Amino acid sequence: MKKLLLGCSAALVLAWVAPAFAHHSPAAFDRTKEVKLVGTVKEFRWQNPHTWIEVLVPDEKGGKDVLWGVELTSPTYLIRAGWKSNTIKPGDKVTVVVNPVRSGEPAGIFRSLTLADGRVMTERAARLGTPDSK
Amino acid sequence: MSRPEELMMRSTSYRVTSALLIAVSLGAGIAPVSAQAPAQQTPPADAQLSALAPANLTKTRPAAPFNLTGNWFIDNSPGIQGWLFGPATIPKLKPEAQKHRDAYLQAGKEGKVYRDDIGQCWPAGVPIIMTRVWPIAMIQVPTAIYMVSEFMNSLRVVYLDGRTHTDPDLVVRTFNGESVGRWEGDTLVVETKNFTNDPHHWVDQGVPASDELRIIERIRMINNGRTLEIAMTLTDPKNWEGEWNGVRRWNRVDDHDIGEVVCLPDLNEHLQSTSSKVHIR
Repeated sequence: MKKLLLGCSAALVLAWVAPAFAHHSPAAFDRTKEVKLVGTVKEFRWQNPHTWIEVLVPDEKGGKDVLWGVELTSPTYLIRAGWKSNTIKPGDKVTVVVNPVRSGEPAGIFRSLTLADGRVMTERAARLGTPDSK
Repeated sequence: MSRPEELMMRSTSYRVTSALLIAVSLGAGIAPVSAQAPAQQTPPADAQLSALAPANLTKTRPAAPFNLTGNWFIDNSPGIQGWLFGPATIPKLKPEAQKHRDAYLQAGKEGKVYRDDIGQCWPAGVPIIMTRVWPIAMIQVPTAIYMVSEFMNSLRVVYLDGRTHTDPDLVVRTFNGESVGRWEGDTLVVETKNFTNDPHHWVDQGVPASDELRIIERIRMINNGRTLEIAMTLTDPKNWEGEWNGVRRWNRVDDHDIGEVVCLPDLNEHLQSTSSKVHIR
C-alpha cells in the first residue's frame, strides 16, 4: 500500500487550529499521525455538513486496491480556501495527506491534497466573524 | 357593538363554524381536518396569538433595547473552549450522570468516542446547538426571536410577547426546549425549560440533560453591535447539584448566509469517523 506513516509530531498538534469537526466528535482521529495516500479519486462529494473524498490506493504488494475515506470540512470553508466543486473528479490522480482514525480502518480527516499539476489544496479554519476568517 | 361583545360574537361564531365543519366532515365519512379552517377565521378571544399574527406584532410595546437580527458565530478564539457547551468547571454530578462522565473520560484515554449522538444525527439541542461551530441566523421581531442554526437547520424560538411557558401537561418537550424572554434594562433574560427526557440529549461531553434542565440566559449586545455575550446558568437537579455557570460570546457574520445542512444516513456511511469501531454507543 502506498502510504507513509509520517509519525508523531508535537508541532503538528500545535499547528492544528482548524476545528473542522462541526458534525461529530473529533476523538476518532489520531491527530498525532499523518498518512500520505497516493491514488485515484473514486468519488468527491461536495456537500454539507462535510465534504468527503474516496481515494483508491494501490497495494504496493500487488494486492487489492484499498478504498480510503477522507473527511473534509464544509464547502463554506473550502470555498474560502480556493476549492470548487470540480477541483477534483473521479479518475484524477492525487496525493492526499490525512490524520487517520485510531481504529486502523482506511479513513482519516483531511490535511492536504496535491493535484496532478502540483497545486496543493488545504482547508482553512472553520471560523467566521473574526478578522482571520475572511 | 362593544369590543367584548364583538370578541364574544367572533368566538361564538368560531365555535359554531368549527362544530359545523366537524359535523359535515363526519357525516361525509371523512376525517375532520382542523387545519382546513375558513380563510377569514378569527382566533378565539382567549387564544394565545401567534408571534407572527399582525395583531400581536403591532401591539404597543416599549422599544426593544437592541435588535440582534443577523448571523452569529461562536467565538472560539483563542482556542476551543470545550467542544460542546463549554464552561470548564463542571458542577458536582449526581451518581448516574457521573457514570456517563466517567465513561466518557475513560473512552478518551482509550482513544474511543463515547456516545457521539450528534454524529449519529440526533439533534444537538440547547445549549449545545448554540455553541456548535456553525453560524446561527437570528431574526428579531417585536414578539419573538427566531434562531436557526445552520447545523441541521435547527429552529429555536424565544418568545418576547409576554406569554408564559406552556402548561407542563400540554407542552411537547423538545431538544431545544421552550424559551421565553423578557427585557431587564439593556439585557434580554431568557428562561428555557420543557426539555425532552431523551437520553440522546447532552449538555456537554459525557454530561446528560434531563427534562428538569432549566437554563437562564442573560444576553447583552456589546462591541457596537458586533458581539453577543450570553451568560448562562444551568440547573438540572437530576444530573448535578446547584448551578452550572458559563459565559460565551458570538461574533456578527456579515459575509455568509446559512444554507441547508442535514444529517443524512448515507453521509455517515461515508464518514468512518462516525461509523468507526472506536465508537461506544
